[in-house]
Amino acid sequence: MLKTIIKREILEYLKSAKFVSGLLITVILTTVSTAINVQDYTMRHQDYLDAKKELKSNGFEISMFREPQVLSTLVRGKDRDLGNFLKFSVMNIPSRLTGYQDVEQRKYPSFSGFPAVDFAFLVRVVLGLMVVFLAYNAVSEEKSNGTLKLVMANALPRDKLLLGKLVSGLAVVLSSLLISAILAFLILLFHRAVSLSGADGLRIAGMMAVSALYLSVFYALGLFISVKADRPATALMILLQTWIFLVIIYPNLSVTLAEHLCPLPSEEALQRQYSAVYQKYSDAMKRANEAFDKNPRQFVEIWSTIAAENRKIDQEFARRQTQQMKWAEFLSALSPAPLYDQVMNRLARTDVREYERFMEGVNRLWQKHVERSRLRYTDPEAYKKTVLPDFSYRSDSAVDSLAATWPQGLVLLLFSLILFVLAYTGFLRKDLR
Amino acid sequence: MKTIIRREFLEHIQSLQFLALLALTVILFAANGLIFVRSYQQQNDFYQKQVAMKENSPSTRVTYLFRRPNPLIFVAEGGNKDRPSGYSLHPKGALVAEPMNPRTFKLPDVLPLDWSFIIGILFSLYVILLSYNAISGEKEQGTLRLVLSNPLARVKLLAAKYFSLLFIVLVPLAVGALLSLIIVAALAPQILTLANVSRIFIAILLALAYVSLFIFLSLLVSALIPRSSLVLLTLLAAWILFAVIIPSSSIVLVEKLSAAPTEAQAAKMFEPMVQKEVWAKIKDIATKAERGEYKSEEEVKEAADRAFEEGQAKVVAFYENYDKAEKERTRAAKNLSRLSPAALLQYASEDIVQTGDEGEEQFLRQLREYSRVYDQYILKKVGKLVRTSNWSFGTEISLHGKTIEIHSPEPQEYQGDKSDFPKFSERRTPLAVSVKSALFDLSGLIVWNIILAGLAFSAFLRADVR
Repeated sequence: MLKTIIKREILEYLKSAKFVSGLLITVILTTVSTAINVQDYTMRHQDYLDAKKELKSNGFEISMFREPQVLSTLVRGKDRDLGNFLKFSVMNIPSRLTGYQDVEQRKYPSFSGFPAVDFAFLVRVVLGLMVVFLAYNAVSEEKSNGTLKLVMANALPRDKLLLGKLVSGLAVVLSSLLISAILAFLILLFHRAVSLSGADGLRIAGMMAVSALYLSVFYALGLFISVKADRPATALMILLQTWIFLVIIYPNLSVTLAEHLCPLPSEEALQRQYSAVYQKYSDAMKRANEAFDKNPRQFVEIWSTIAAENRKIDQEFARRQTQQMKWAEFLSALSPAPLYDQVMNRLARTDVREYERFMEGVNRLWQKHVERSRLRYTDPEAYKKTVLPDFSYRSDSAVDSLAATWPQGLVLLLFSLILFVLAYTGFLRKDLR
Repeated sequence: MKTIIRREFLEHIQSLQFLALLALTVILFAANGLIFVRSYQQQNDFYQKQVAMKENSPSTRVTYLFRRPNPLIFVAEGGNKDRPSGYSLHPKGALVAEPMNPRTFKLPDVLPLDWSFIIGILFSLYVILLSYNAISGEKEQGTLRLVLSNPLARVKLLAAKYFSLLFIVLVPLAVGALLSLIIVAALAPQILTLANVSRIFIAILLALAYVSLFIFLSLLVSALIPRSSLVLLTLLAAWILFAVIIPSSSIVLVEKLSAAPTEAQAAKMFEPMVQKEVWAKIKDIATKAERGEYKSEEEVKEAADRAFEEGQAKVVAFYENYDKAEKERTRAAKNLSRLSPAALLQYASEDIVQTGDEGEEQFLRQLREYSRVYDQYILKKVGKLVRTSNWSFGTEISLHGKTIEIHSPEPQEYQGDKSDFPKFSERRTPLAVSVKSALFDLSGLIVWNIILAGLAFSAFLRADVR
C-alpha cells in the first residue's frame, strides 16, 4: 500500500508545472553560477600564484599569502573579502590581511551587501522555495478537493498516508538536489584550474548531507502547515510568510541584535591604548633611535617589544570581534537558514574560523622571526644557523570540519523531526470532512 | 470604478498577507530608526572629536579631513560601513583614505536594514503576495466573468485593481516611514531639517514608483497565466532574479570581462617601476657626480630632488590610473546591474540622500578643491611644495672627493604662526544636484512602470476571461 501511494505521489509531483519549472530554474542557475564562480576562483588563484612568485619576502619584511579555497566555487562565504596578503617586520605586524598592494582591501562597497549566488544560495533560497511549493498542498488540496475523504475510505491507516507523502516528497526534492549537485560537481571536475582532492570529496558529501537536512526541515514544515490549514491558498501564504521570516528577516535581525548586544570597543579606545604603549616606551625609543648605529640590538629590542604590545591590543580586539560573531551565530540558530550557512561555510573553509587559523599561523611565524632577529645581535653564529621556516598553518582537516559541524546538523535534524511529529499528530486528529 | 477600488481595498485589508506585512513593517521600520540613529550618533561623536583634535594641530606636512557622517543613512546606507571616515591630504593633492575599517567584518554578511532594503527586497515580495491572484484568482473562481458582464470597461477594472493595490501598499509604507521618522525625531531631532525632510520625501516617492512597477508586473503575469500558483511561482522567480541574481552576478562578470590588471599584477609592477623611475636616475646622478659634471653640492641635491620628485610623480600617476580603472569597473558593474529595478531603487535612493558612491565622489571633489588652497598655503609659508614620499631613502654621493648625503625630499613643517591655516568646511550637496544624479535611475524606474503598465493592459484586454 505504502508503495502505491509513494508511486502515485511521485508521479503526480513529476508531472506538475511547479516541479518542472523549479527544476529548470535550478539547473540553469546551478550551471551559470558555478561557471561564474569557477571563473572567479581561477582568477583569484592565478593572482595568488603570481603574487607568491613576484612579491617575495626580503630580509626585513616577510610576505605571506592566503590561498583562495577551492570549495569557494560552491560556497563563496567570506573567501573573497577577508584579504589575501600580509607583510610583517620585526617592528610591525598588521592586525588584518590586506590586498596584494599592501593597502586595506576596500573594493566595491556598493556591492558588499548583496549575497553571493553560489550553490549554497541555490539550495537555501531557490530549492527552499521549490520545497515550499511542493509541500503546501500535500494535504490541504486533497482536503479541499474532497479526495482526502475518498482515500481514507479505503483500508489505509492515516500514518501510512502521511508517511507516503513525506517519503515521496522528499524523494522528489532530494533528487532535484542531487541533479543540481551532480551538475555543479561535473563542472568542477572538468575545469582545468580546479583540482579536487579526496578530502574535498568528503567535504562535498558533508555539504550534500546538510543540504538534504535543510530541505527536509522545510518539507516537514510544509507538511505541518498543509495539515493544519484547510485551504491550499492559506497554506501557501502562511508557508511563504514563514519562509520570508526565517530566511530573510530573522538572520538579518539577529546579526543586528548581536552587533548591539555585544559592542566592540570604539576606535578611540583602541587609539588610546596604542598611544599609551608608545608613551610608555617613548624615552627608550628615542634613545634607541639615536644610538642605532652603535647599538642596533637595543633598537630591535625596543621596537619588537612595542610591536608585541600592539599585537596584544589587536588580538584582544580580534577576540571581541569573534565573541560578537559567536553571539550572532547563537542568536540566529533558531532559524534553519543561518545554521545551514554556518555548516556550509565551515565545510568549504570559507568562514572566519579558517581565517583565524591562518592568522594564528602568521602570529607564530612572526614570533619566530622576532626571536631570530634578536639573535642577530646576541649570537650571530646561531643567527646564521637558524633559518626562518616557511609559512604554514593548521588548516581544518575534512574530518575536523565534519566533527565540528555535527551539532548544527543535529539541530537541523531535530527541527525536521519535531515538525514531522507535529504534522503527524495533527493529521491523526484532523477532521477529514 | 470607485466601488471597485473600495471593494478590493477592503478585501485586501482583511487578508492575512496584509496583516503580516503591517506587523513586519512596524518591527522593521522601528528597528531601522533605532539602529541607524544610534550608529549616526556614534559616528558623529567620533567625527566631532577627530575634527576638534586635528584642528588644534595645523600642519604644512599633512592635514586630516573627515567626512561629516550622513544623518540619512537610515534611508539608504550605501555601503557606509565599508567607506573611509575621512582622508589625509598631503601636499600636491595626494589623498590617503583613513580607514575606519569594517570593524564588524567577522559577522555574517547581511544587507543593512535601511529603507532601500525594506522596500527593495521585502515590499516587492509582499506586493507579489498581495497581487499575484488579482486576475488569475478571479478567473479561477469564475467571478471575473460575472464582473465583466456588467457594463464595465476592462481598462477601468484593471486600473481599479492597480489603484487599490497601490493604496493598500501605501498604508504600511506610510505607517512605517512615519514610525521611523518619529523615532528619529525623538532621539535626534536635529536630523529632521527641511532639506533632509524633502530628501526623505523624494525617497518615499521613489519607493512608490518601485512598488508600482511590481504591481504592474504582477498584474501582467496574472493576466497572462491562468493558474494562480503558477503565477506566483513565475513572480517569485522574477523577484529572485531582480533582487539577488542580477546585482550580485554583475560584479563578477565585469571583473572577468575587464582588461584592467588584477591586483597582483598591479602590485608586481611596483618594484620594477620604482627601480626604473627613481633609483636608476639617482644612480645616474651619482655617476655624473663622480665624473665631476656638477659644480656644487647644491646642484647635486637639486638634481636628486628633481629626479626623485619626477619619478615619484610617474609611479603615483600609475596608481591613480589603476584606481581610476577600478572605479570604472565598479561603474560598469553598476550599469549592468541597472537591469534590475531593485538596483535602480537602491542607487536612486543613495543619490538622493548622498550616501553611496556618488556621495563619496562629491566629498572627494571638495577635497580636491581644498587641496589647491592647501598647496597655496604651503607655498606661501614654506616656499616650496614637496610630495610626501611613500618610500624614503638616503645615500651618499661623492663629488670632487667630498661625500654628500642625499635624502629623499620631505615636506617641511612651518614653524611660525599658523593661525591663518585655511579651514575646510564640507558643503552639503544641494538637493537639485542630488536629484540630477538620481535622474537616470529614476527615469529607469518610470520606464519600467510604463512598459509593464502597457504590457499588463494589452495582455488583459486580450485575455480570455471565460
